[in-house]
Amino acid sequence: MFNSTGNNFGAGSIQFKDYQAENYVVLNAKFSYDPTNAAYQAADVLEIYVPDLSINRSAVAGVILTFQDRYVYSSYTWNNDGGTAIKSWIKDKNTICLEKFTNFDDKGEITIFIQALYPMLNQPGSTIKGTRTRINMTQETRYLYWSSDTFCVIFEHWVFLHMQFSSCSYSYRNQPWEAQMGDFPTDVNADVPFLGGSNQYNPSVNGYSLAHVENGVFTCQERMSGFDSTGYDPFIFAFLVRDGE
Amino acid sequence: MARITKSYKTLTDAQMIAWENLAEHARGQSVFGQAAELSGINLYVRLNANRVMAGESIIKDAPEQLVCLPNVAYDKLWVTTKNIIIKGITHETGYKLVIKMSAGQSAGVSSGWSKTVILSPGMEDDWGDADMTYLYFKTIGVKPVVGEKVFLEMYWFDPVTGFTGQSTFDSKVCETEEEAEQEGYVKRNKITMADLKPDSHVSECDVDFSTNAPVISFDTVCLGHSNVASSEAYLEDELPEDCIGTSMALARGMGDGNAALAAQSYIIWLRNSSWEGTSITFAHRGGYYVKPTEVFGPGILY
Repeated sequence: MFNSTGNNFGAGSIQFKDYQAENYVVLNAKFSYDPTNAAYQAADVLEIYVPDLSINRSAVAGVILTFQDRYVYSSYTWNNDGGTAIKSWIKDKNTICLEKFTNFDDKGEITIFIQALYPMLNQPGSTIKGTRTRINMTQETRYLYWSSDTFCVIFEHWVFLHMQFSSCSYSYRNQPWEAQMGDFPTDVNADVPFLGGSNQYNPSVNGYSLAHVENGVFTCQERMSGFDSTGYDPFIFAFLVRDGE
Repeated sequence: MARITKSYKTLTDAQMIAWENLAEHARGQSVFGQAAELSGINLYVRLNANRVMAGESIIKDAPEQLVCLPNVAYDKLWVTTKNIIIKGITHETGYKLVIKMSAGQSAGVSSGWSKTVILSPGMEDDWGDADMTYLYFKTIGVKPVVGEKVFLEMYWFDPVTGFTGQSTFDSKVCETEEEAEQEGYVKRNKITMADLKPDSHVSECDVDFSTNAPVISFDTVCLGHSNVASSEAYLEDELPEDCIGTSMALARGMGDGNAALAAQSYIIWLRNSSWEGTSITFAHRGGYYVKPTEVFGPGILY
C-alpha cells in the first residue's frame, strides 16, 4: 500500500494497493476528480506521481472511467450511470499516466478504477501461463445466473477476475444482490465496476453499476436502469491485489 | 520545403530575430550531425522540414535554445531474409528515431549510404527494438536476398524542436534466419501485421508475448466479419507451444454508432490447428459488441 505524492489534475491524495514484481506491477486504486478543475483542463495526459515503482516503464493497460447521470422523476430515479475503458501506462518510476478522455466531462465528477496489471515488454522470457478457476456462484435462493466465462486466475499476491452476468429472476431485479464466490480467494476486498446495460442517455457507452467483492462474497446494491438489456452483457474485468497476511 | 520557406515571410520581426539569434549560436556547433553555417531562415526551414516529415506542424517561434541529442546506442542490426531489425536500442524519452536504409547492394560495395531512403521519419523504439521488416518491404518493395548488403543510417529527432542528433552508420550482409540464430539472433515472441495472412479480420495487430509475466500485451483492432461477434487473425507461421492457450483482455469500441465507445471483454483463443492452420481468434464476451473494436492492454493467459 502506498499513497500518491501528487497529480496534475487536481485530485487529492490517491491510495494504492499494490503488488510489485521485478518486471510488472499490479495496482488498485479508486479516486475521483472534478473536470471543471483548472489543473485538469490544462493537462494533456493525466499524471499521478508516486514513490519509486519497481519498473520504470510499462506497456499500455486498461482502467475504467465512470460517471453518474441520474434523472429524478416524481417517484422514480432513471439511472444512466455509465463508463468505459481508458488507457493507462507507467511513464517512469514515479509517474502513472492516464489517457485524458473528455467525452463525459459535462457529467460532473468522474471516478476512475485502476485495477490493472502493467507489464514490461521485450523481457527475457515469454508469457507465463496461469490456471483458470471457474467461480462457483451460489445463493441460498438462487436468483442470479452467470455466464460460463465467470472465472478467476489465482496467483500468490493477486488474482485476475472476469465475471459476466447472464440473468436475474424477475422478482429480485431491483433488490440488493449477494452471492457466494466459491473457489475465489477470500483475501480480496475491492469495489469493482460492473460495466454493461443499455444507457439511454449516454448511448455511446455501456451502463455502469458498482459491485463489491469481499471475503469471497459478491454484492451489488443497485444497478443502472438498462442493466439487463439484451446484448449489453454486464461484466467485470479486474486484476485485484490480495490482502494476504 | 517550398511551403515552409514561404511561411518564413509570415513571421513577425521578433520571431525572425529569434531565429537569427538561434542560428548564430548554432554556427560552428554540431546540431545536425555536422558543423553548421546557418542563417535564421536556414535553421527555420531545416527544423521545420524535420518536424513536417515526422507529421508535426510548423513551429513559428524559435526553440529557446540549441538541443544536443545523444547518438543512437544499440546492440546490433540484423538483416535476414525474413526480418530486418535493430535490437538493443537504448530508449531516449521524448525523442524519435529517423531510420534510413538502402536496398540490397552487392556485398563488395563498401559505401552505400548515399543510396539510403527514409523508412521511418520518426518512430519510437519498441522496447529496445526497431523492427523495420514491414516498413522496409513497404518502402523498398523487395526484401534483400542472402549475400546482399544493406546500409543503415539512423539518428534521434526531437519532435518538439525539430533538432536531430548525429547520424550512426552501419551495414549488414543479409543472411538466413538460421545463420542469424547461430550468430545469436533471438526473434522476439510477438505477432504483428507482417506475420498475418491478408484475409485476417484485423486492421492492426500487436500481440506481444515477451512479458515474462502472466499476461500477453494486446493492441489489436478487430474488424469483425460475417454475422459473428469475433475476428480471426490468420498467421503465416505456427505459434510457439508456450503461446498456445486462451486469454481474456479488455476492449473499447471505435465505431460511430450505438455504443461506439463501449468497454467490452474479449476471450482470445491462440491455436495451431492441423485443419485450419494457426490463428488467433478474438471473440466478444462482455459489454455491447461494436465493430471495429480495439482490444488493448494485458490479457491473462491460461
